[in-house]
Amino acid sequence: MLKVAAGDRRAFAWLFDRYHASVARFAFRFVGDRERAEELTQDIFVKLYRNAKAYQPTARFKTFLFRVATNHCLNEVRRGEYRVAHTSTEAPDGEETGGVEMAGPDGDRPDQALAGRELERAVGDALRSMSDRERAAFTMCRFEGMAYRDIAEALEASESAVKSLIHRATLAVARRIEELQAGTVPARSRA
Amino acid sequence: MSCHFEEDLTAYVDGELPAARRVEVEAHLGGCTGCRATEALVRHTVARVAELPDFVPSVNTRRAVLAKLDALPVPWWERLRMLLRPAVLVPSAGLAVAVGLALVVVGPGPEAPDELEDPAMMELAANLELVEDYELLGLDSPEDLEVVASLHELEVAQ
Repeated sequence: MLKVAAGDRRAFAWLFDRYHASVARFAFRFVGDRERAEELTQDIFVKLYRNAKAYQPTARFKTFLFRVATNHCLNEVRRGEYRVAHTSTEAPDGEETGGVEMAGPDGDRPDQALAGRELERAVGDALRSMSDRERAAFTMCRFEGMAYRDIAEALEASESAVKSLIHRATLAVARRIEELQAGTVPARSRA
Repeated sequence: MSCHFEEDLTAYVDGELPAARRVEVEAHLGGCTGCRATEALVRHTVARVAELPDFVPSVNTRRAVLAKLDALPVPWWERLRMLLRPAVLVPSAGLAVAVGLALVVVGPGPEAPDELEDPAMMELAANLELVEDYELLGLDSPEDLEVVASLHELEVAQ
């Protein structure tokens, strides 16, 4: 990152290749739209390049990157009304929310593929229903495997606050999955 | 009503609780069916979310980002840095030195004699050829000088 700050394009390309999939995944789960996630990913890396001098070697790079990514996504969602509307409106029936490619075993059998799409929709609905910070914390935790401490640093919050955010978000997703499974797998909970 | 341990159950499942608190939660789970159900629900949810497919970004993203970087305006310090590269700086400095030397050698320079700024001396320099003629003839009286100055007119009169 220090090389990037000195204008080294090759160092930047290396960082991009290593981390862009994580940022894109985060952006996709945050806004729920493939094209928008691609745009946000591009913007985040351009912002990272332009502000490379602000990086302090004392911070872990991934944490620094996700702080940039989180702030950018939060600002973008708050800035545009259509984006707020997009993230708070359910997709019409039959329309994929972002067109996630189903890969692996789920794609081998139609019933599994259908189950996978329903799970995707349920989780997407839950993500849309929660607050921006809950969504950011949940996404970093569940899709990036980040530790609570690092999420706290990225969100500029306390670990205790992050613990609550992730707990509430996880229960929100649990409710949607319970609803999805209500006909087949009755689940009991206070959530 | 929620049990006051419930808030810690997700962190417990994620392995994010301090050791002492983890022991307390484990002890509590043994006697609280509500918390056991919530813990099972959280574990199930975490497992289902892990089944979701990865989002695969477009292969064009890299090219698009690099194109955006190329389109960025070059900041002034970057332009200065480019000018200070040896490939640019050395020839420029050499040219500047050559021009400076040329000015010192060809131009009057600061060491030029003060007399040249005197109008009388400048007049003398302009008519130096005439003065040499006077000296050649060995003339020094005012009358002789007047004759020489009017020599052309005398020739016409004859």
